[in-house]
Amino acid sequence: MTDTTDLRDVVDTSALRARQPRFRGLEAGHRACQGCGEALAARLVTEAAGPDVILTNATGCLEVFSTAWPQSAWRVPWLHSLFENSAAIASGVEAALKAQGRRTKVIAQGGDGGTFDIGFQALSGMLERMHNVLYVCYDNEAYMNTGIQRSGSTPHAAMTTTSPPGKERMGKRHMKKDLLSIIAAHHIPYAASASVAYPQDLRRKVRRAMEIDGPTFLLIHSPCPLGWGHDGTVSIEVARLAVQTGLFPLVELERGEVASVMPIRKPVPVVEYLKRQGRFRHLFADGDHRAREEREHLQALADYNIERYGLMGDGDDPFDSEGADTIRRGGPARA
Amino acid sequence: MPVTMTRGAFAKAGTSLAFKTGTWRSARPVHVHAAAPCHRACPAGEDQQAWLARIQEGHPQAAWESLVAANPIPAVTGRVCPHPCESACNRGKMDEPIAIHALERWLGDEAIRHGWAYPIPKGPARTERVAVVGAGPAGLSAAYHLVRRHYKVTLFDSMPEAGGLLRSAIPPTRLPRDVLDQELARLLALGIEFRQRTALGRDITLEELKTEFDAVFLGIGAGKSRHWDVDGAVPADLHEGLHLLKEWLQVGALPTPKAVAIHGGGNTAVDLARVMKRAGVAEVHLITASGLPGPDTEPDDVLNVVPREFEQAVEEGVKFYPHRTINRLIMRGSKVVGVEMVRLKKLPGANGRKTRVAFEGTETVLHVDMVVPAIGEVVDPAGVEALLHGKDYFACDRFGRMEGQGRVFVGGDARAWVKGYPNGTVTAAVGDGRRAAEAIDAFLSGREPAEEDRPPIPYEKLNLAYYESSARIRLPTLPLDSRNDTDEIEGGPTAAQAATEADRCFSCGNCLACDNCWTLCPDSAVIKTVDQASDGSHYVFDLDYCKGCGLCAHECPCGYIKMEAEEE
Repeated sequence: MTDTTDLRDVVDTSALRARQPRFRGLEAGHRACQGCGEALAARLVTEAAGPDVILTNATGCLEVFSTAWPQSAWRVPWLHSLFENSAAIASGVEAALKAQGRRTKVIAQGGDGGTFDIGFQALSGMLERMHNVLYVCYDNEAYMNTGIQRSGSTPHAAMTTTSPPGKERMGKRHMKKDLLSIIAAHHIPYAASASVAYPQDLRRKVRRAMEIDGPTFLLIHSPCPLGWGHDGTVSIEVARLAVQTGLFPLVELERGEVASVMPIRKPVPVVEYLKRQGRFRHLFADGDHRAREEREHLQALADYNIERYGLMGDGDDPFDSEGADTIRRGGPARA
Repeated sequence: MPVTMTRGAFAKAGTSLAFKTGTWRSARPVHVHAAAPCHRACPAGEDQQAWLARIQEGHPQAAWESLVAANPIPAVTGRVCPHPCESACNRGKMDEPIAIHALERWLGDEAIRHGWAYPIPKGPARTERVAVVGAGPAGLSAAYHLVRRHYKVTLFDSMPEAGGLLRSAIPPTRLPRDVLDQELARLLALGIEFRQRTALGRDITLEELKTEFDAVFLGIGAGKSRHWDVDGAVPADLHEGLHLLKEWLQVGALPTPKAVAIHGGGNTAVDLARVMKRAGVAEVHLITASGLPGPDTEPDDVLNVVPREFEQAVEEGVKFYPHRTINRLIMRGSKVVGVEMVRLKKLPGANGRKTRVAFEGTETVLHVDMVVPAIGEVVDPAGVEALLHGKDYFACDRFGRMEGQGRVFVGGDARAWVKGYPNGTVTAAVGDGRRAAEAIDAFLSGREPAEEDRPPIPYEKLNLAYYESSARIRLPTLPLDSRNDTDEIEGGPTAAQAATEADRCFSCGNCLACDNCWTLCPDSAVIKTVDQASDGSHYVFDLDYCKGCGLCAHECPCGYIKMEAEEE
C-alpha cells in the first residue's frame, strides 16, 4: 500500500495560507521559473525583514515575474523605476522617510546586472552618502531576464549567450568581479554574502542588517536553472556546492574587515559543482586540453578563496557549512 | 484627499494569488511514508523509525506502546536479538548504525520499572477460543496478538513456567531471569489462560484441541537435537549441546573435560562454549562451517550469533575454527581422543546453489577428550506426527498456514524455511506469532490475512547534506574478571544516552517536521499546518500554486516527498 494523500480536496489552503507562522512579503502566484533561486531568496529576505519596509527594485527577472500587470506578488510597498537606479530611488525614499521622522526600513533590490554593472554608480553613491538602506543583490551571475548575457558577476569560464565557448575562448574570459571587496572599501557598517542553500544563515544576516542604522549590503547567491543549465529540482544542491567548494564563500564584513566566515570542514572538488551545470559543459569536452586547464583554474580560484578567507575551520565546528543546516526532529538545530 | 496606508496587507483584487501557477505543473509532490530499512529488516515487524521518533519527542511511553504493537517482549529481544535492524540501518553507511537494540532494551526495562500497561486497541469481544501450544516466543507473541484482537486464548506448555527456550536455553548472563519473569508475568496478566505442565501428545492430543478450540497455533519449537555422526561413528558418551545447556541451566551440572570440541555455529554452540570455559574447561574449541563476523564474510555465510557475543567469547578464551568441519573422530575404543578437521567453504555449484565443498589436503588434528554437537535442532514429532509428514519441520506459508490444515497454524523454530522470512531467532518467532494471529483472525472472520507492505527507502534517496556525523553511544560491559554464571554481561543505556541515540535517527521515509520543504519552496506552495495534514506530516501542498519544480522532494532529508507525473 502506497500512502499517498492528495489533501487538496479536504484542506482549504487559502484559509491556511493566511495563518502561516511567518510573514509573507512575496506571495505565491508570481511567474518565476520552476525552482527559481531568486524568488526563494526574495521570499526569505522579505520574510526576515518583516512588514515595516519599503522595497525598491531594479529592472530584472524579479521585477518582471513579481509584477505582471495588474497583479503584484508583493505584500509590502514596492517601487520600480529603471534598471540602473534602484539604489538612487532607495536613497530618495529613505531621505523622504527621514524628513517625515519615520523609521520604516528601505530595502533596495537588484540582480547582479543591476548591481555589479548598470546600477553600480548609484549603489556606490548610496553607500558613500551613508543612507539607511539595506541593498540586496540577488546574484545569479548573468543577465537572465534578457536572455543570459554575461555580466560582471558571471564566473570565469562560464558559458552565456555573449561568452560562448569556441575556438578562441572557453566561456567567459574574465574573472567574477570581487564586488564585496569594492563594497567593503566604502567602509560601511555591514556587508555579507549569503546563499539560498543556507536559509537560516541568510535570515540571520538580513536581521543583522535590519538592525543597523546605515548602509548595509547583502550578496545572495541565487541559482538560475534556465541560465545555469540545471534542473530546478537541484537549485539548492547547486547553491550548496558553490559554498562547499569555496567558489562562493559566505563571509561577513564590518567596516571593511572580515568579521566572520562560514567555514568548510571538507572542501568539495569544484568539478562536483561544475558538472551539474550546462554553463560549464564545455569544461568536460573530450580531447580539449583547455577544458582541463579551465577546470584546474576554477579549482585554483576556489582554493584561493579558502585561503584568503580562512575557510578551513578547525575540527567539528557546529556552525560550519555542514552543521549550519543540520536538521533535527521538529525543526532546525538552531534558529 | 487623505491617504491611508495599510502595511502588510494587500488589495485582494490585484494580488498575484489570482494567478494559479499550478497549471504549469507536469509533476506533483506527494508524501510517501516509505518503510525504513530497520523496519523492513525486523523479523518481529517493529517500526523502529516510528518508536525512535517518539523517544526523540520525549515520549518514551508512547515509544514503548508503538514498539509493543508488534513485539510484546522488548526487554527480552532487546537482549538476545541479533538485531538485523542495525545491520540495515541507513546511518551505518554514514558512520555507525543507531543502537536500536540497546534502545529497545531500555524501553522494555522502563516499561517494567514504571508498570506501563500494554495498550489493547478497542474492538468488539470475540467469542471464538484459540489454543496456543508452546509458551515460547512464538506462542507468547501469538497469544498476545490474539488477545489484542479480543479472542479468548488458552496457552499450553509442558513446563511449569512460561518462556520456552528463553528459559531453558539462554544463559542468565545474556537474559537475567528477573527480567524474563517480570516481562512474561505482565504479558500473561493480560488475560491469557495459562495451562502449564500440559504436554502435547502426553496430556492432550491435537485432535482434542481441534475439537475444543476454534483454532490452534503450534509454537512448539525445535526441541530435539538433530542427528549427528561422523561417517557413522558416534562416541559412546555423546551429549548434545542443547541438552548440556538445558541441564546446566536447570540443575547446574556440567561435564568438565580437559579439552572439548563443540561442533556448530549458532547461539547454542557459542553459549555452551562460554559456559564450559567459565566452568574451568582449559581448552574450548568451536568448529563451525560458517565464517566469522567481519567485513569479508558474506551475510549468508556468517556465524549465526550476535557479533558482540562472538567477540565476548573470544575475549573469554574460546577458540574458533571457522570454515571447518569434523572429518573424522579419532577414537580409542569408544572414547574420543581427538578430531580431524578439514577446511571447507560454501561455493556455488553447477546449478548456482551454494553447497559446502571440503578441501582435500587441509586436514588438521585437535586433541580433545570430548566432542559436543550443537548443529541445530528439529521438531520433536511426539503428538504432531500427522502434520510433520516425516519431515524435520512443518511446511507452511509466511502466515503459518499449512496445506489442508484449516484451523491449525504454526510458527517459530518449528516451521520450515519460508522465502524472505528466515527463522531460528527469538525475534523471528515473535514475528511468526504476530502473522499467525492475523491469519487466525482472518480465518475466523472469513477474510484473507493482510500484511503492511510499504516501499523501501534506500540510502541514496536521503539527502545527506542535512545530517551530521555523530558518535554512537557506548554501553557498559562487565570486565572479563568480573564475569560469572549469573550476572548480566551487557549493560543498558541511561535515559540521557537513549535520548542522544534516538536523536541520531535519520527518520528514513518519514517526515520529521524539519521545515525544509516549507522554507525552501520558491512559490510558497508548501503550507505548514499541525492540525490539518492528516498523513502525519505537518505540511500540505498548495497545488493551486505548486509549479512542480521538485525542489522540496530533492531537499527533503528523509525521502518523504516523491514527484508523481500529472495525468495528461
